[in-house]
Amino acid sequence: MKLHVADYLVIILYFAFVVAVGFIIKKRIKSSNDFLNSSKNIPLWITSLAFISANLGAQEVLGMVASGAKYGIMTVHFYWVGAIFAMIFLGVFMMPFYYGSHARSVPEYLFLRFDEKTRGLNAITFAVMTVFSSGISLFALAKLLEVVLGWDFDVSIWIAAGIVLIYTFVGGLTSAVYNEVLQFFLIVLGLSPLVIVALQDAGGWEQIKANLDPKLTHAWKYMGSTDSNPMGIHFMSLIFGLGFVMSFGYWCTDFLVVQRAMIAKNMNASQRTPILAAIPKMFMPLIVVLPGVIAIALSQPGMADKGYHIPVDAAGNMDYTMTLPSLITHYYPSGLMGVGITALLASFMSGMAGNVTAFNSVFTYDIYQAYFVKKRSDRHYLRVGKMVTLFGILFSIGTAYIATSFNNINDFLQLVFSFVNGPLFATFLLGMFWKRTSPDGAFWGLLMGTVAAALTHGCTVAEGKGGWITELYTVSSGMGQAFIVAMVSWVVNFFTTIIVSLLTKPKLDSELKGLVYSLTEKPKYTGEKWYQKVVPLAVLLIILTVLLNIVFF
Amino acid sequence: MSKRFTELSFIIGLFFIILSVILLGGYLVTDALKFKINIFSGIAFLVFGIFMVMIKSDEE
Repeated sequence: MKLHVADYLVIILYFAFVVAVGFIIKKRIKSSNDFLNSSKNIPLWITSLAFISANLGAQEVLGMVASGAKYGIMTVHFYWVGAIFAMIFLGVFMMPFYYGSHARSVPEYLFLRFDEKTRGLNAITFAVMTVFSSGISLFALAKLLEVVLGWDFDVSIWIAAGIVLIYTFVGGLTSAVYNEVLQFFLIVLGLSPLVIVALQDAGGWEQIKANLDPKLTHAWKYMGSTDSNPMGIHFMSLIFGLGFVMSFGYWCTDFLVVQRAMIAKNMNASQRTPILAAIPKMFMPLIVVLPGVIAIALSQPGMADKGYHIPVDAAGNMDYTMTLPSLITHYYPSGLMGVGITALLASFMSGMAGNVTAFNSVFTYDIYQAYFVKKRSDRHYLRVGKMVTLFGILFSIGTAYIATSFNNINDFLQLVFSFVNGPLFATFLLGMFWKRTSPDGAFWGLLMGTVAAALTHGCTVAEGKGGWITELYTVSSGMGQAFIVAMVSWVVNFFTTIIVSLLTKPKLDSELKGLVYSLTEKPKYTGEKWYQKVVPLAVLLIILTVLLNIVFF
Repeated sequence: MSKRFTELSFIIGLFFIILSVILLGGYLVTDALKFKINIFSGIAFLVFGIFMVMIKSDEE
């Protein structure tokens, strides 16, 4: 499809603003701490929106609309079960350790709590994963622009990467965080008109419910059996696999998002960052799940007169990934089309910049400074941080080109991510709340949990994937398989850590102050209004989330 | 005034005001952009942009 000059103006305006933000922030960058850590000087409203925006990358926006079309309203579980509770837990219980320990990164917390080898294992896997994830995001962006707009694949990759490089290279983490907030508003406001017109076109929510199989419009009602819902998941698997292991593993331990809370101005702000971020997160399904449900309703025979249909691939199957771009091209005229395309660009670039800034912090602090060059001037580490940003972007471009040769690389990457994140939460849970957890217990638990994840995947099959060792068990959906892999890896990590800890020497109590719950003074907030306090806010959000689950039961 | 250009709320507000000018201006200038959804979205972006410009955040 062809764009109007107004559409190009919107895209150019966006590029100009994100680059300008980088140069505005550049004046504030004086040290490696400013560049890699924002000097812990970012206001609460910015850290909160950046927290949610760092997760609002391409996989999230395109992926959740696609899941909305494929699984229906059940996709809200990724928010109301698989995000809000973990974000609240992070704010109430875990941020006091992350922030109070003065660690500059999640791997550095593992070093302080355990030892060098646990930090090294986490830092290396995280660094590799972030740079690959960034490259996959870039690949998906260029592919989308090629398919939808006919833009040249190579040009799209280099322009998008070049712009992310400019603003992350000159302004570091602060620039990435500021742009994430701009990108957040652009994504939300840019896609809101689409939801309104598409919903109106489909005749409203009641009409959508009348046109769809009830399994697609109820979140919990059909989860009593794996055969009766489109995800093929029992509610117990959902609660433990997604709601506990995967959700807490991601939101509470992934440095990409936790970093946004760690750069808040003080302890109270760092605790409230994920909690306030949970408010927009709670309503995000309106922007990223509802369009998918509307799209599948519009594709039903009863609504054929609307002229919309979810695109099909070469094999004639529904290409759910293209649901959002197809809705944009169907409903947005010139002008707003530019806004919609720019919102997609923003989601890709936000995800990429988030990964690159997390990568350069972890690489500089936890790999370069920890293992290679220990005691050099701050200026040296600032220079290294900038160079790592440049190489991170170049690696991402390389990964994007590798992805063109392997059509299943994204599946592979997501799988490896689940191997890494799934078991990690057990390490943190035991490390923060059981002072007997020893450094050896944490290391072997993490390692065995990751191995168990790989073995489980190798022995289960879902949608033709997995089973590379033997086909012991068949799962009806890839999503269900991911939950099982996560659960097994978590349980193996949890018990291995306990057993090895009981057999090995723990750290002394004096070394664990500020790092373990029982040895840390709890933060007290007196004389503040209720909405400035962590616990009342958390309780209110839990009640709201439970209510939303009941309304869409 | 120039100090405000370093405030994120001001930058975001300015972005959406210019965006609304493109949509609303385009609606008036060319038939290719004469769609109700452009004008409604343009007004919404303008209101949001002005709101963001008016508020003052504690970024220092």
